[in-house]
Amino acid sequence: MSLSLLFLTLGMTDAGYVAAGWIATFGIIGAYAVATIRRGKRLSKIVPPEERRWS
Amino acid sequence: MTVTSSPTPRTGDDHEVVTSTSSSLTRVLGILSLIGAVGLAIMGLIVSPADKVQRDSVRLLYVHVPVVTWMYVAVLFCSVASAMWLRKRTDGWDALAVASAEIGAVLVGLGLISGMVWGRPTWGVYWVWDARLTSTAILFVMLLGYLALRRYPGDAEARSRMSAVLGLLLVPNAAIVHKSVDWWRGLHQGATVKRLDATIEGSMLTTLFLGFVVAGVVCAWLLVHRFRVAWLEGRSERHHLDAALADRRADADPSAGIAVGGPS
Repeated sequence: MSLSLLFLTLGMTDAGYVAAGWIATFGIIGAYAVATIRRGKRLSKIVPPEERRWS
Repeated sequence: MTVTSSPTPRTGDDHEVVTSTSSSLTRVLGILSLIGAVGLAIMGLIVSPADKVQRDSVRLLYVHVPVVTWMYVAVLFCSVASAMWLRKRTDGWDALAVASAEIGAVLVGLGLISGMVWGRPTWGVYWVWDARLTSTAILFVMLLGYLALRRYPGDAEARSRMSAVLGLLLVPNAAIVHKSVDWWRGLHQGATVKRLDATIEGSMLTTLFLGFVVAGVVCAWLLVHRFRVAWLEGRSERHHLDAALADRRADADPSAGIAVGGPS
C-alpha cells in the first residue's frame, strides 16, 4: 500500500510531502490496528471464553 | 480461580471459540475500511485535481481533515464515557473511555504529523506556535497523560476515577482547539467546510467527504477492537488478582485450603 502511494505521487508537485503525509497516515493507522489485534489475541487466550461476549 | 490458556477451546456443538477480538461486525468493518482506503487513495491521488494555489499538496487535505475531525469525536466519546463511568461505575464505560482516548491520541498525533508535512510546502515551515497547533499539541500531551494515568499500578477504582476526571477535561480543550482559528489570528486556515457553505467543490469536495466516511469506518473498526482489548485487560487483571489472592491464602493455610481472614 505504501509503495503504491509512493508511485502514485511520483510526478506531482510537492510529491515528497504528499507521499510522506499519506504513507504516515496509512502506516500509523495500520500499525496501530495490527498492534491492537495482536493485544486482543494475546489477552483472549488468558480470559475464559464465557467472559468474551462477542465470542 | 483458574486461568485458561488453551489456544483453541471448542464448545460442545463444535463451534470454534474465537480467541481474538474479532467478530462478524469487525470483519465487515475491516473489509469496508480496506475498500474505502483504496478508493480514497484513487480519488485523492488520481481523480481529484491539483489546486490552483496549493497545487498537489492540497491532496494532504483528504487525510489531514478527516483524521482531525474524527479526533474530536474520539475525544468527545472519551469525555462522555468518563462522565458515564463516574455516574454508573460499570466496566463498559471505563473500557469505552480508555479505548476512545487511545484512538484519540493516535488521531491527534497523526493530525499533528500530517499537518506539519502539509505546513512545510504551504507555509514554508513544519511548525509554528500558532494557536491551533499549540492547542492541539496541548491536547496531545493531555491524552498521553491520560494514557499514562491508565497504567497507574494501584487500585483499579482509584485509577478509573482519576482517569475519568482527566477525561472530562479533554472536551473543553478540544473546543479550544476547534475555535482557536476564530479566536486568535494565526497561520492556520479556517474551516474548509462550514455548514453547507463549502469553500471547495466538485471532485475535491466528493473526495473530502469520502475521506470523512472512510476515516469514520476505520475509527469504528478500531474502537470495537480497542474496546474489547480494554474489556479483556480488565478481566485479565481481575483474574491475576484472584489467582494471587488464592495463592496467598493457600500459603497461609495449605492444609485447610480455605480462606484465612485476619492476622493469627
